[in-house]
Amino acid sequence: MTNLRNAYTAVISRGDLWSGKVHTEPYEVAWSSEAIFFIHLMPESKKQKGEALAHVQISPDGMHWVNEGSQFVLPNVPDSVCFTKVTNFGGWLRLEVNIPNGSEYKVVATLSLKS
Amino acid sequence: MRTNAHSVHGDPRLSRFDPLERVIYFDDFDKGMNGWTCLVGNYQDSIDTMTTSYARHTQPMLSQITHWDSGTHGSFDGTYALKIATRPVAGERNTAIKRVTFRKASRIRIETYFACKPEANELKLSDKDVRAFGVLFDLQDRQQRVMPHLRYLNTLNGERKHQWQFKQKSAPFRSIGSNEVVTHDHLSPQDWEDIPGAHQNLCYNEIPTKINWHYLRFDFDLEKMCWLGFQCNDAIFEPTGIESIKMPAMPNLDCMLNLAFFCESDTSKRTFFYLDSVLLSGDF
Repeated sequence: MTNLRNAYTAVISRGDLWSGKVHTEPYEVAWSSEAIFFIHLMPESKKQKGEALAHVQISPDGMHWVNEGSQFVLPNVPDSVCFTKVTNFGGWLRLEVNIPNGSEYKVVATLSLKS
Repeated sequence: MRTNAHSVHGDPRLSRFDPLERVIYFDDFDKGMNGWTCLVGNYQDSIDTMTTSYARHTQPMLSQITHWDSGTHGSFDGTYALKIATRPVAGERNTAIKRVTFRKASRIRIETYFACKPEANELKLSDKDVRAFGVLFDLQDRQQRVMPHLRYLNTLNGERKHQWQFKQKSAPFRSIGSNEVVTHDHLSPQDWEDIPGAHQNLCYNEIPTKINWHYLRFDFDLEKMCWLGFQCNDAIFEPTGIESIKMPAMPNLDCMLNLAFFCESDTSKRTFFYLDSVLLSGDF
């Protein structure tokens, strides 16, 4: 029987209110080879003008971080979802998100991993 | 040929455990998450109704235990361990849970090899940055819901403790939205009691990036709903005087057999609780 690939989805923000510069908690991903970050903008968000931009970050040790290069704009429409796909990321992943001044984003963010 | 060989020597992975007659599950985290997940609090209509301490819980992960100075430590018998990490805030906690039900109210035994360390972000011993770690069952039979809690209190507000504790009282229930959904923070900082004679020093080692695996065994009787004792490394503790949180049976929880591990930070530094493997066995 063929071994199925391991897969796991981690919720990295569960209805948290994001404002200013936000870093998600470090998540260990050495076992996986591909990942998708999803961000679901909840209807309770309070948006002002400007775009919120998320950067994928990687780390050699879970403590020092650098931009991986992938980035994506958070949704403009409440109750919508955005995502980005990454590979070759080493042992850790997190997001750095910059929320425009005056805005407050309520989000469910998930990290879908596959070996 | 050895005549006194234990039957589990046939499987080297089981040989370092002492399971009861039937293995209910044996989770080696080199094989994946094995059904371990995040313990979220109850809610209704809005997740804002969740108790804050539960809302802070984050997802467990598979860790290769890699450090900035020595590279990958790895697990007891492979690469990956289950990792429960707090946020970097003093007094934070986090958990991981696995939910099953029981088919016979027998004796049960949980065994694990664990390590608990603070994040290695300072060039210091850091042995007092971890507040506590522990294990709990959440059980229900026809009459009652029973929640035995076992905690190793490493440090409290900067003071070294090294004391095993239990809990027999929980925070009051709170209704969420309607009377049908309730919540209670059974892991709140209050109401922990020292287990008499259960002071124990563990093998913290000399810097935060050197870890040693420890053995933990916890026995419970599902028929009588009472503690049967526990063991950490070479120290064996009797159950005399140790009670559990108990309450009348609740709807929708018949035969529940939940097992959760948790850890707490004492300073603004992440606490990491690693489990190499978890074995739950029963006497049936």
